[in-house]
Amino acid sequence: MMRLKYILNEFRGVKGIITISIGIVLSILPIFFMMLDLPFPANVIFLCLLYSIMAMAWNILFGYAGQFSLGHAIFFGVGGYTTMIGMLSYKITPWIGIFLGGVVAAVVSLALGVVLFRLKSHWFALATMAVQEMFLLLFIPWTAVGGSAGLQAPIFPPDKALYFIQYTGPYIYAYIALAILAIEVLVVYLIVNSKLGYYFQAIREDEDVAMAVGINPFKYKMIAMFFSALFTGFAGGIYIIRFSFIDPFTAFDLIGIAVYILVAAIIGGVYSSIGPIIGAFIFIPITEYIRDYVVSQFPRYYGLQVFAIGMIVLIISLVAPEGIMGWLEKKGIVKRKIALPAFSNILRGDKDERHS
Amino acid sequence: MVGILSIVNALVSGILIGGIYSLVAMGLALIWGVMNVINFAQGDYMMLGAFATYWVFALMGIDPLISIIISFLFVFALGILTQGLVIDRIVKAPFVSQVVSTFALLLVIRYGSEAAFGPYTRRVETWYTGITYNISGVILPLPEIIAFIVSVGVTLILYIFLNRTYTGVSMQAVAQNLEAAAILGINIRKMYWLAFGIGVGITAIGGTLLSTFYPIYPEMGAFFTFLAFIIVVFGGFGSIFGAYLASLIIGLSETVSALFISPTLKDVVAFLIFVIIILVKPTGMFGVESS
Repeated sequence: MMRLKYILNEFRGVKGIITISIGIVLSILPIFFMMLDLPFPANVIFLCLLYSIMAMAWNILFGYAGQFSLGHAIFFGVGGYTTMIGMLSYKITPWIGIFLGGVVAAVVSLALGVVLFRLKSHWFALATMAVQEMFLLLFIPWTAVGGSAGLQAPIFPPDKALYFIQYTGPYIYAYIALAILAIEVLVVYLIVNSKLGYYFQAIREDEDVAMAVGINPFKYKMIAMFFSALFTGFAGGIYIIRFSFIDPFTAFDLIGIAVYILVAAIIGGVYSSIGPIIGAFIFIPITEYIRDYVVSQFPRYYGLQVFAIGMIVLIISLVAPEGIMGWLEKKGIVKRKIALPAFSNILRGDKDERHS
Repeated sequence: MVGILSIVNALVSGILIGGIYSLVAMGLALIWGVMNVINFAQGDYMMLGAFATYWVFALMGIDPLISIIISFLFVFALGILTQGLVIDRIVKAPFVSQVVSTFALLLVIRYGSEAAFGPYTRRVETWYTGITYNISGVILPLPEIIAFIVSVGVTLILYIFLNRTYTGVSMQAVAQNLEAAAILGINIRKMYWLAFGIGVGITAIGGTLLSTFYPIYPEMGAFFTFLAFIIVVFGGFGSIFGAYLASLIIGLSETVSALFISPTLKDVVAFLIFVIIILVKPTGMFGVESS
């Protein structure tokens, strides 16, 4: 309870007013768009929230514990498939299925963590990417879960709409995503302001030193991985109830999921807990706008939205590798209470070890 | 039961496709070894090479075997440009910045080409496309044989360049010990420029050779980037000729596992090899011990 009070204290003043007003605006907008019958902006908000969930989850693992994963589509896919299979084969309501998906994804992540946390830095990144490709290649011929054609949820009778969360338009799904994101923000704040958060950051800064002061890196990396995969799995579940469809190519998509997540986090800033959310709310509207207004009308220009993201990330990574939040902090516009000791050591500055 | 003839066929096609893989992988190994930069966009430079070949062929009717040089020079120039605009600034950055930047390059090149050329599949139809020899049941497709021979030639040239010329030896020195090389008066920046240019240029030759028997489309690089990673890690970090041998082995493992396990699972085997190698012996088969 003390901790909760401490967090509530964090939200006093200007920062609190801004956070609360953003929350209020986000919770009003989908209803507003529903009344005006504007599915496109509501869909954009839904996707922004979905990618916010994933980017923030990814950032628990990277921004705090310093483990760079290129394989988060594994947890997205596993969460999505679990929710879908639960719904189709066992008639489990997605209200439970989403949470089940997150838990299964977290269990998978722990199993992977046991093996992959033997690796460091780029080896970990490459291994997660390889495992993700293995998931993709194994799900394609696996006909029991739909194979390469994927799984399609049927249209349920209207009286079952609430049970199977099947509604037209993205409006209700935006609220589900918003609720999960709110829980996640709370969890991340609890982690960051507890000993756990400091252990994570110690491991990120220097694993050997962390070990020397009695922190077990493996244990805390596993905890970070657990929360990271849990929320990414939730996002997978929300995705499939929104689109009633999942196939291996969207579930384990390197570019569309794993890279987009890190794009959101990098644009927003990885050393800020809300940076990934800001990143997602910046780049998703751009891609969706290009996709909806250019690519869907001129299919010949397919890929333009990804090209645009590539340019944005390229510029960000060269000009301000610490992201928008980091840049704002450097300019003194946003302040943080405790200065990070090695704020720019991981993204900027010299590599201290070659070939490691 | 798997007959002896299909085993021989699998071995032959494995070696032939391994030759192409080797060009992509050696380029990646050169960049990784000399600059310690992991280039996720490697396969996309290969795609650019293939497209250069296609356009030169479609517009001017120049045979892919001649346009090898054009495609090499074109992508070499692009590589130098990339190096100047992007890689030069992140060579000393931590790996996260490098991964993000090269992934951004990947998105820009792959989807920029997709937007420019359209998401269509193209083919280069030369006089030798589709010709196969059948020597007592062993099928030998002519374009792949040509590609294999050229890849061996390119590998030899690269070997001579790296071991018999002053520039090549300097490049190896940079790969082995950056500080010592700088003290001995080697221009590190110049070596980085050259290494990146040659690294992507060789990969582009792979794309050119591939274009004679493989469809060309903007996303073709994805698969080859993965393969290049597997091969470079298997062959050993920093070892370019380890990468060559590893390409042949990965090529063989693909065709043989396609024969014995299942064609859909052949890439899973390659990825499994990859994960096991980085877990057990990250220095690979022929890698130098990391300091």
